[in-house]
Amino acid sequence: MAQNTKPTSILDSLGEEIIRIIAPVSICMFMVVILVSVLDSSSSSSTSASVTSIATIAYSETNSDSSWDKFVGALLNSLVFVAVVTAVTFILVLLFYLRCTKFLKLYMGFSAFVVLGFMGGEIALFLIEDFSIPVDCITFVVALFNFAVVGVLAVFMSKMAILVTQAYLVVIGMLVAYWFTQLPEWTTWLLLVAMALYDLAAVLLPVGPLRLLVELAISRDEDIPALVYEARPVTHNDSGAVGRVAQRRVWRGRSGENSDHGSNNNPNANSVFVENVDSGSNSTSNASVVPDSSTESNTLVSGHNDATLVRAEEGWVPERDAELSAPLIDPRMNIQPQQSELEGIGLGSSGAIKLGLGDFIFYSVLVGRAAMYDFMTVYACYLAIIAGLGITLALLALYQKALPALPVSIALGVLFYVLTRFLLEVFVVECSLNLLMF
Amino acid sequence: MTLAAGIGYALLALGPSLSLFVSVISKKPFLILTVLSSTLLWLSSLIVLSGVWRGFLPLKSTSRWPYGLLIFTSIAFQEGLRVLFWKVYKRLEDLLDDFADRVSKPRLYQTDKMEIALAGGLGHGVAHAVFFCLSLLTPAFGPATFFVDRCSQLPFFLVSAIIALAFVTIHTFSMVIAFNGYAEGNKVDQVFVPVVHLVAGMVTLVNFASGGCIIGIPLLYFIASLTLIHCGKMVWRRLTENRSRQGN
Repeated sequence: MAQNTKPTSILDSLGEEIIRIIAPVSICMFMVVILVSVLDSSSSSSTSASVTSIATIAYSETNSDSSWDKFVGALLNSLVFVAVVTAVTFILVLLFYLRCTKFLKLYMGFSAFVVLGFMGGEIALFLIEDFSIPVDCITFVVALFNFAVVGVLAVFMSKMAILVTQAYLVVIGMLVAYWFTQLPEWTTWLLLVAMALYDLAAVLLPVGPLRLLVELAISRDEDIPALVYEARPVTHNDSGAVGRVAQRRVWRGRSGENSDHGSNNNPNANSVFVENVDSGSNSTSNASVVPDSSTESNTLVSGHNDATLVRAEEGWVPERDAELSAPLIDPRMNIQPQQSELEGIGLGSSGAIKLGLGDFIFYSVLVGRAAMYDFMTVYACYLAIIAGLGITLALLALYQKALPALPVSIALGVLFYVLTRFLLEVFVVECSLNLLMF
Repeated sequence: MTLAAGIGYALLALGPSLSLFVSVISKKPFLILTVLSSTLLWLSSLIVLSGVWRGFLPLKSTSRWPYGLLIFTSIAFQEGLRVLFWKVYKRLEDLLDDFADRVSKPRLYQTDKMEIALAGGLGHGVAHAVFFCLSLLTPAFGPATFFVDRCSQLPFFLVSAIIALAFVTIHTFSMVIAFNGYAEGNKVDQVFVPVVHLVAGMVTLVNFASGGCIIGIPLLYFIASLTLIHCGKMVWRRLTENRSRQGN
């Protein structure tokens, strides 16, 4: 029967890495939309809890201001925010330069704990209140504490199952994004645009803090201590690949590890982008090492003993990350930046795509804010962001260097939001109410 | 009317597409990407159309011909985009075949090509259902419901969900027919798709008459099943041809 001997078509596995990045981004956005619509509809919109935070320090929006006032106020807010973020990122670069890695890691752990424990706890309290879930204080505190501690361990210990790590990163992104959506409307939109521009500048300009950070990390063969989502690299059990030497993808002409197939990082074998890259390397994996190396390469590489692996990192463009300090949007603790997250997109040493958590957060903020208007804008913005992410990934494969993941997506997202809100909605409602469809 | 009703309406419009997605498309990542890009394409076409027609809305609801013109122009634009989609797909097919040669895998099978066409059509259909039905469902999750004067037998949400289901079917399968028609150079298929789309759009004009949806919706379903049968026959023919060719 022809079916048994039919070789697998390329369509079976093409584009898998992209889906492995798009899926968690979509899940994060979906959960933020759900949270926003559930918690928003329950709390009356008249009680606009004005959150005091860095992002509203310059101007607090009220409903009675004119559009121009709101615009100017929001602009001031976002400029202040970007200024704070830039300052903190430079401090981060300085600390990294002075090799205070331990301090940075502790700080990250602490901020992850705060996000999961306090922000997560507050949102859980809202939900308990809304749905009248019967749970007592002690159980709640114990459960929350455990949740937060496991989360901190998950993002730091590379021994944890990668699914748990990925899930916790998505949850952290979701919680921070939800808090960002509580900002006033104009401030949120202008903040997104400002952050997209900042990301563009910080990564591409030679004096940008993120670029300095990446170059420091490359020159020292260390990885940046930060929260980064790494998609699992694609592994293939190609029956035709046994006996073929696994070769590493060549980036920027630096390699020489072509003969290494021991502790091999599995380059993705079937990305279309490999073809655009003029590497000419045959990126299939040696089937026998696939299980071993996949577990190794799944982890965020930190302090790997394997010399070849370290050399391999030279050849890759590693994490192109940016540290973003998001202010704690909590009325109690006023203006403490307490988080390091990452923005930007890059390729991990295993060939897996890495996306900084800041990107997750700002995509979800955009979609969450669109959800506060209507679901039509949500769908339009979701498609726009995914398209932007796809374009950024294509550019990443083309240019083979660290790229900011925010600008394209945010630009498309804002554009589609505006177009949908002012053009599409009227058209569709008009047609639908008359039961005219095409 | 409640959460259950809202989810029910959503599933009514999108249930078959969901099962199609889960069974066929989710297995192959490339098809998921195809669905997403064709959804985006349909959305962009819709935005362009709304941009063009924005100045004229809201139309006076007395006469019907402005609406007819609106539908005609929209469908013409979308069919034009379908041809563009086909050209892009051709180039993509060449790229994929080159890639397959380079990694020493077989070129795209006939079923692969049809799956890509199906994914493209599904993207269009899902976009239609999402923007014409789902995005208006938000009130349906609340405590009340809504009736339109012209079709007062059923809640508006139910009517739009039913119509959306028909259109999802039409969009999904007409893409397969269209791609096959362009590939084979079959004039009948090439003309069939725009005509069906246009007829379906015009049939919704029947809903204008009071109580017109009693006639309009069954007609629409007749057209949808016509598309489905035609697509089925065409696919069967292609596959049996292929198999007999391989058997030789």
